Amino acid sequence: MQLFIDDVAVGQELPVVVRNASRVQLFMYSAATWNPHRIHYDVDYARFEGHPDVIVHGPLQGAWLSQYVTDWAGPQGRILGLSWQNRASALPELDYEFRGRVTAIEGDVVSLDVWEQTPEGAVLMPGQATVRLPTRS
Amino acid sequence: MTIDQGTAGGSAPPSLIPAHTMALVGSLLRGPVTAEITAKEAQRYAQAVGDLNPVYFDEAAARAAGHDGLVAPPTFVQYALVQGRPIEETRTDGLFKGDIPLELAVQRTMFGGEEWDFLAPVLVGDRITAETRLASLDQKEGSKGPFVRITRETTYRNQSGDVVARTRQIGIAR
Repeated sequence: MQLFIDDVAVGQELPVVVRNASRVQLFMYSAATWNPHRIHYDVDYARFEGHPDVIVHGPLQGAWLSQYVTDWAGPQGRILGLSWQNRASALPELDYEFRGRVTAIEGDVVSLDVWEQTPEGAVLMPGQATVRLPTRS
Repeated sequence: MTIDQGTAGGSAPPSLIPAHTMALVGSLLRGPVTAEITAKEAQRYAQAVGDLNPVYFDEAAARAAGHDGLVAPPTFVQYALVQGRPIEETRTDGLFKGDIPLELAVQRTMFGGEEWDFLAPVLVGDRITAETRLASLDQKEGSKGPFVRITRETTYRNQSGDVVARTRQIGIAR
């Protein structure tokens, strides 16, 4: 379904999307990005570095954030900018929520606050995005 | 609370950034490297992320969405430029040894985040050239002691020379 610029208002919240990475997904992401870092597949080594388990790649969570925005914007939307800060590690086999809110609209460009949080509300990854949306003809 | 070095009164904390490392700010760290965007690699990336958007898999869907052909996921471009390297060049933690190590008086470096500008969609078949520069090194005082914020900026140009994306990757070294 396509979202249009006049469907959007400042303060509007985006629908919540839950993501949960399996260990297989972490492995596939390491493979697809040619990333040999052991903290993503070797539990013993991850613990040696002080992590409780293998950890989800920061850029995978960034890619989820990008997908959260592009899925919301629909096929005719265009993502123009995206930034995020990785504040804390995410673990496999746990649910994380992606949430967002419209902060500004200028012409056909929408600014969003977007973030990843635990179901308890601890923000792991705050971010901002800008997207261009089509105008209803 | 985080404060910038030098804004607090009293004596300045010891620098974690040697002068010869600070002198690298603005210099080229990597590139230029060029790679072609292939459907197979872009789609493997999309599948690994779990992003099955039809514009990455179905040319008709991509054209219906206003593109000139199959699109790559926005953040894929940086992985299209990763060059294969032998296993012998990995360190104990599995990462590849750095091309130009940044010498800093720190124990470890963590991924801190990214900032992207997407200027044009990257299409399958594009030939993308990337250059990475050391944009800045900033010593900060955090709640767990001093740290260095490392910003590496990569510019991606297509075969016509147009900048299609820029990314600033933030590393936190403490």
